[in-house]
Amino acid sequence: MLRNRTLIPSFQRPASRVIIRRAASYEQELGTLIYESLVEFALPVKDKVILLKPNLVGLDPLGVMNTHPAVIAATRESFLRLGASQVLIGDGPAMDRDTEAILESVRLREFIGPLARIFVDLNIDEIERVPLATKASRLKELFMPKTVLGTDLVVSLPKLKTHHWAGVTLSLKNMFGVVPGSCYGWPKNVLHWAGIDNAILDINAAVKPDFAIVDGIVGMEGNGPIQGTPKACGALIFGDDPVAVDATCCRVMGLLPERIKYLAAAGTMLGHIKADKIQQVGENIAAVRSKFAVVKEFSGLSEAA
Amino acid sequence: MDIVPAEEPAPVIAELNPDNSFAKNVCAPLLRDAQNADGGWGFHPGASSRVEPTCWALKALTSLLAPGTLDGDAIRRGRDFLIAAQLADGSWPSTSEEKTGCWVTSLACWVLAGESEGQKKYSEAIATGLSWVCGDWPRDSGWWQRTLRRLSSAKQHAKHNDAARGWGWTPGTSSWVEPTAFALLALENQDSSQLPSLAQKRRKLGEALLYDRMCPGGGWNCGNPEVYGVAGEPLVIPTTWALLALREYPERRENIESVAWMEKNFSSIQAPGSYALARICLAAYGRKRIEETANANDFHVRNEFQSNIAVAAWMVLTASNPRSWLAAGGKN
Repeated sequence: MLRNRTLIPSFQRPASRVIIRRAASYEQELGTLIYESLVEFALPVKDKVILLKPNLVGLDPLGVMNTHPAVIAATRESFLRLGASQVLIGDGPAMDRDTEAILESVRLREFIGPLARIFVDLNIDEIERVPLATKASRLKELFMPKTVLGTDLVVSLPKLKTHHWAGVTLSLKNMFGVVPGSCYGWPKNVLHWAGIDNAILDINAAVKPDFAIVDGIVGMEGNGPIQGTPKACGALIFGDDPVAVDATCCRVMGLLPERIKYLAAAGTMLGHIKADKIQQVGENIAAVRSKFAVVKEFSGLSEAA
Repeated sequence: MDIVPAEEPAPVIAELNPDNSFAKNVCAPLLRDAQNADGGWGFHPGASSRVEPTCWALKALTSLLAPGTLDGDAIRRGRDFLIAAQLADGSWPSTSEEKTGCWVTSLACWVLAGESEGQKKYSEAIATGLSWVCGDWPRDSGWWQRTLRRLSSAKQHAKHNDAARGWGWTPGTSSWVEPTAFALLALENQDSSQLPSLAQKRRKLGEALLYDRMCPGGGWNCGNPEVYGVAGEPLVIPTTWALLALREYPERRENIESVAWMEKNFSSIQAPGSYALARICLAAYGRKRIEETANANDFHVRNEFQSNIAVAAWMVLTASNPRSWLAAGGKN
């Protein structure tokens, strides 16, 4: 069964809820914190197949560019505890086709056990042609992994990072990783030529991630998503509207979401970015705000600018 | 939750002999069993046939044949799958649902021409494929794009020589290391009657692009040697394919530095795909001994290669001298 891909324009949507939780380090017990946050959303996950889509971008022995394995493992355990029949983890790294090398470098196997039947390399998954309803980019269609299209609930699980071409990379930009490298290469350069901002919109309108959890315990600032500087923020951000989650993350980072092109556009068709349409739960933004540096080209994104 | 890194095993010095037993006893049967009824292979056992894994499986199984052996049935059916998958313009698509060719065209031409017998039987398919490859120019280095960049006030943050032109993953995009290396392997040593008139020029431009995109100090990543003034980190897989495509120049400084990078980093490789390709690369450059912390079996125990057909095929290719299967036309 393929996922329902009907779009609901933002003006027809009720306010979105975003939860911010403090988490000082990856060493602390994250399972209870994540489980209790998920319970508040009453997600329909019982007996369902869940796909967690972390942000795995490259070899990362220092653990600064990829979603941390402690967050991935705790999220997986939480969904199983909520009654999910299966919780898969899948990604299609964009710059390195040796996905298993990335998995080993982030030590995911140490946290979860053997990955042969849990992890799906979306770069080489079975694929299906998907027409792009939003037509934000010149791309009329994209091939997408069947695991993504056939799963009951897709959870975007990015790291809190700045991005030298898109401004920020959060739960929406993270979905670049579902586009299969076996069709489009490493990197998925056709998306860059189509315009990164527009491609982000098209992919998210096609896949419609159902939930987002952003790993902001340690993020990345500056020349992200790979060569930036680690930035401790001490927060996990949850929500069932990925646009609202990303807008909240921007505010946590001291950036203006409405100045990020793809996020501003997503705010008209995929979710909410306006603060008055986002119900903030848990910590206040001000309590966890940590101003992230951006490359010079994006200096206009900063709240003080 | 314990996040203390696991203790790394101490490296051991191992002979870089062909890794025959594991490749022949585990990987080759896996490949044979995974062939689909249509003759092709998917990326995993039971998955739909695609051009890329079919090429790797064919390259691997062909490498196991003794010289002069007639094609096995599996290999013949695999080649028939490739011929059926070719598009009217001579290119091959990544999937049968796609109507536009891409980088796998180079792989298909390389594999079909892998034996002298194949070169005769499939000569028309190879010729039209190579013609498409030579006519597939990257968009970023065209006159119009270069002019636009010169006129643009935006600073260019990637350190590239715009005059170097290789191949992209898909038509109408930018040059990248791996598709350029595959195109060079497909074009090298082909029967001159098969080659389009542009072939020699494209080879020289492609080689120049690879050298231009090398990371400072040696090795390649996907094709970004420096962004925002920060040097790119090399990766094993693109470094392998670039070095194999440039193996005609073993004495060049770039090759020497890159082989040294590969040797230095071999013992820290953590996954079977990179492990197999690094072994192939070092063997192709005549290295006899390596320092390793894990072997093929160790990697298989970890995650069963993620059932990846390409990885199993690369592992099979470690079982023979790469000089015997690298040259497209069977020449060394």
